[in-house]
Amino acid sequence: MPKDRPTRRQLLTAAAAAGAGVPLAKLALGDSSHAATPPPHLHAAGMDMSAPTHAAMVGHETPAPGGPHHLDALLYPPAPLPHQPGRVREYTLAASDRRIEVAKGVFYSAWTYNGTAPGPVIRATEGDLLRVKFLNGGSHPHTIHFHGIHPTNMDGVFEIVEPGDSFTYEFPARPYGMQLYHCHSTPLKKHIAKGLYGAFIIDPPKPRPAAQELVMVLSGFDTDGDGENNFYGVNGPAFYYAKYPIRVRRSQTVRIYLANLTEFDPINSFHLHGDFFRYYPTGSSDHFEYTDTVMLCQGQRGIIEIDFANTGRFMFHAHQSEFTELGWMGFFEVED
Amino acid sequence: MAPAGVASGLRPGAWRFWALLPLLLLVGVVALFASTGNSLLDLVGRAPPAVDRFDIRRVEFVPGEIRIRVTNPQRPKLTIAAVTVDDAVVPFELDGPAELGRLRSSTIVVPFQWVEDDPYTVGVTSSSGIQTSFDVPAAVEARGASPKGFLGYALIGLLVGVVPVALGLGWLPSLRNAGSRWIAAFMALTAGLLSFLALDALAEALDLQAGLPSGFQGPGLILLGVAASYLGLTFVAQRFSAAGGRERGAPLEGVALATLVAVGIGLHNLGEGLAIGSSIALGELALGTFLIVGFMVHNVTEGLGIAAPMADGARVGLARLAALAVVAGAPAIVGAWVGGFITSDVLGVLFFALAIGAALQVVVEVGRYVARRAPGGLRSGHVIGGYLAGIVVMYVTGLLVA
Repeated sequence: MPKDRPTRRQLLTAAAAAGAGVPLAKLALGDSSHAATPPPHLHAAGMDMSAPTHAAMVGHETPAPGGPHHLDALLYPPAPLPHQPGRVREYTLAASDRRIEVAKGVFYSAWTYNGTAPGPVIRATEGDLLRVKFLNGGSHPHTIHFHGIHPTNMDGVFEIVEPGDSFTYEFPARPYGMQLYHCHSTPLKKHIAKGLYGAFIIDPPKPRPAAQELVMVLSGFDTDGDGENNFYGVNGPAFYYAKYPIRVRRSQTVRIYLANLTEFDPINSFHLHGDFFRYYPTGSSDHFEYTDTVMLCQGQRGIIEIDFANTGRFMFHAHQSEFTELGWMGFFEVED
Repeated sequence: MAPAGVASGLRPGAWRFWALLPLLLLVGVVALFASTGNSLLDLVGRAPPAVDRFDIRRVEFVPGEIRIRVTNPQRPKLTIAAVTVDDAVVPFELDGPAELGRLRSSTIVVPFQWVEDDPYTVGVTSSSGIQTSFDVPAAVEARGASPKGFLGYALIGLLVGVVPVALGLGWLPSLRNAGSRWIAAFMALTAGLLSFLALDALAEALDLQAGLPSGFQGPGLILLGVAASYLGLTFVAQRFSAAGGRERGAPLEGVALATLVAVGIGLHNLGEGLAIGSSIALGELALGTFLIVGFMVHNVTEGLGIAAPMADGARVGLARLAALAVVAGAPAIVGAWVGGFITSDVLGVLFFALAIGAALQVVVEVGRYVARRAPGGLRSGHVIGGYLAGIVVMYVTGLLVA
């Protein structure tokens, strides 16, 4: 291990200064800019929560780490930019070892991009020149392997970045759709399970209709190292969106960029209550399926578009009951 | 007085200082070592991280609730962070602290609509993410400390303890008609069955201590129990002997020896009652009629063991016999209560250890009696046959409860 390796804090600070398009300062410093809005009280939804019962994983009583808006940087993607071939989009990702709270009171020694698992959302428009500077501030060799079309020397498989080193990935963003990125160092399973992955959105040349856009990266955490996930979640911590439901308006389409990066389990899924949605596999064409449940293997992803018919609280979760009860569940609070 | 050795130069009273000096020096060396932090230990390696596993002592099912008793078996503190039932995170409340120091316990109360007789896996996850699981083969409602339960355990203790011993004492009149060789044979039989009980209790104690957190030092606990009961009974036997006006060191006989046998058997029944009580409470024991009958047959022989020393002595009144039956049998009731309502493996180990020491002491006492009084001493065919018969009787009747 090199002795002159910069500390994690130095790296993060440097990355924050260098990051052009990543809300990194927000990630590194914690999100304190938002006023804490308490979640709607459960009695309002007609539920008596005076005593916890068997099925009480909803609302304020839910054991989930973090406060309201803590995951906003991962949930809400940066705004799309209009088609402008050759424009440079710069991002900076710094790998670091970090203990993160994956379930209420449960801390996991994760490997992260920019301090969170999943890492930040990277977004570009098709034809943009993507330039991602990667600093390895972790204790193991890492890479970034992007899904999409790019030269072999930008694939994040052969260019191993040693701790303390850096590498700049540069390639035109294509094809449009919901892509993803993850570390491709060996042992691969370990590097992904530890948290090195994130969402990578490439917008089509013809912009998608305006929508309330959300990103959901599905993953699990094997906190005791037995090769099975102990907790599952969306954008990280277990039960987070059960404690803090996602507020959306009924008047506008809800678009979810969905990716599955769950290690150990062959598949994961997304199921919406009380409504149907259009599912565009990989988001790379206009073909869609009208359904309320989709199944994804690891690395599979797509775009969901929901036009809510009703207001109120609607659950979404993995339709593997086990995942649901180990944290992969949440609620939409649909308002007029 | 001629001065001798290292103490020769000491002034009167100075021995106090010299007695304390090694302790003071120890404190100094410890403080010096502690002040170096881990730098000395780092020369030879690094301590591995703590395993962070809980010790789940007991999982109880009561209507609408699952209660999980957890202990921290390791030196570093351990925090209860999440609880799962059948791989589902569940809300819970704590009857005690979430952060447990060494050997400290808390009870986790999980509101849960469980299904009778279904298997469950309960998991407790520490703040470091390590999950400790506990498998329950079948959920059975735990009965709390109610007057009904109290009476129930008392009846079970009475049936497996007092009643069979009292019945076995009924052999006394026929024993009185036996010749001295046969009396010696029955005394040897008593020693045989007590030897069996001692080994049986040792096996139980070793088995139980293996499951204890290492901090309890199970083997040391067993030795402590064995030594305490063996030496305690030796002391009592000495007193009996002195009270009977016999010569110093003479073996006990008659009622005094019978009382000692009864105490030894009573201590064994304490452990046996505890084992039965906790097994019932944890739903591990199918409490059938057959099992109760088995214990009764098994324990009738204990009554015979108490009767044998009184066969050639003075007549014994009914009240005295009843008292002996209570001494030998009633601890089963106490054991059943403790096992049924407390379930402490530490107490279990201690109870069985006490039984081992008591049984061994009584075997020694009976042996001394036989050696001095029996025709032909310890080597006679009747004595050897009786001793082996005692083991065989326990073994065969033990099949009923195994």
